[in-house]
Amino acid sequence: MMFEQKNDVDKLVESLSKIFSKTSIEDVMTKPPIIVTEETRVQQAKDIMRVKMISGMPVINRNLSLRGIISIEDIIKVFEKGKLNDPVGKWMTKNTFYLNKDDTIMKFLELNEKRKFGRYPVVNNDMRVVGVVTKLDILEWLFKKLGYIYVHDKIRFDTLNKNYISSITEENTDTNTLDYKLKINYNNVEMIGLGATKLKKFLTDKNIDKDLVRRISIAAYEAEANVVIHSESEGNIFCWIKDDHIKLVIEDFGKGIEDLELAFKEGFSTAQEHVREKGFGAGMGIPNMKRFSDRMTLISSSNKGVKLEMLFFFKNKED
Amino acid sequence: MKIEEIVKILKAKEIFIPEEIKDFDIEYAGASDLMSDVLAFSRENMFLITGLASPQTITTAAVIGAKGIIFARGKEIPNKVIEIAKEFEITLISTKLSMLMVCVVLHNSGIKDAMGTERELE
Repeated sequence: MMFEQKNDVDKLVESLSKIFSKTSIEDVMTKPPIIVTEETRVQQAKDIMRVKMISGMPVINRNLSLRGIISIEDIIKVFEKGKLNDPVGKWMTKNTFYLNKDDTIMKFLELNEKRKFGRYPVVNNDMRVVGVVTKLDILEWLFKKLGYIYVHDKIRFDTLNKNYISSITEENTDTNTLDYKLKINYNNVEMIGLGATKLKKFLTDKNIDKDLVRRISIAAYEAEANVVIHSESEGNIFCWIKDDHIKLVIEDFGKGIEDLELAFKEGFSTAQEHVREKGFGAGMGIPNMKRFSDRMTLISSSNKGVKLEMLFFFKNKED
Repeated sequence: MKIEEIVKILKAKEIFIPEEIKDFDIEYAGASDLMSDVLAFSRENMFLITGLASPQTITTAAVIGAKGIIFARGKEIPNKVIEIAKEFEITLISTKLSMLMVCVVLHNSGIKDAMGTERELE
């Protein structure tokens, strides 16, 4: 496991509950929701659920207000009675529990502990259904927040090759709006660090806080070193200066990281001797990047390159 | 401590001394050949003691905001390395003393550990 010491676990729990009570359901829920109206025939609702591979849907009336939930359990009952042509409104579970979009994840956890429902409709202040939230949504969101994303399947591989969408901010990595771009020269170990120092100069010229610049350049240095030492491919450093944070994305198209969990361990390295002679390969790269960035997301798998995103918040906004 | 004095007590050779370092009060130093360690545990304005004379030593010093580098064991410093140091205004001196001796001499003269590990001894 990644958290070996009890201390780390305590810290994790503490920081998580802080996040739980700050994050609203709106940020986590699936939207737009898949919904049906009371008049929809059960037969049709069943088909939607089969195609969408979901186990239940909110039911709304013509004013888009929440009326109930139709679940697989309800549909089984309809099957037994042979009433598939009935409207959903007749068979749905009424008086369902729902969440407001402004509720926090804490509320979800409390509700879920008592009710054990698979999914909850999410409504806005006009009681209109704006989303659905499931335990899976929370789990997925949690993994993203923790910054560990394992990529072993095709879907994730496709997202790697598409316009990269940040798992943290859900923004597109829009290369038209970026503030700084650098190509990483991967042919020469001796060139390691030139990109990071250039980035440091650029940020210093923008009058960005000295300590922040230092953290960013150190993290960028490690990322650059990783591309040169490990990827065997060219790479890029992108930098965006936003209102409340600076975002770095470092990408390469090389052999990728086979075992992410190992790579996150301090002291683990696959670097060759000629690299170690230059003072690298200590297995501190990824731990250092984690140490100096506020949020870090890394996506990689064997032979599919590495995409690394790091966020650095301006002081006072994050803590 | 001024750079002039450090050069004297280490019997060091001046390789590159930028104008602005001459009045600077040097307080902290750290020693390592492992650049990742330097990146992880460093302090602004420190002096880096190392036996590694590669461009990475300079770029590492540049990103952590170190003021200068003390090369131990009389290392030969390639011209390329000196050129990069000039670009980033990083002081370079070289001494025949080993890393241990550089550390001992500097610490005895009041230079503090950049990592602040003296605390462990208390």
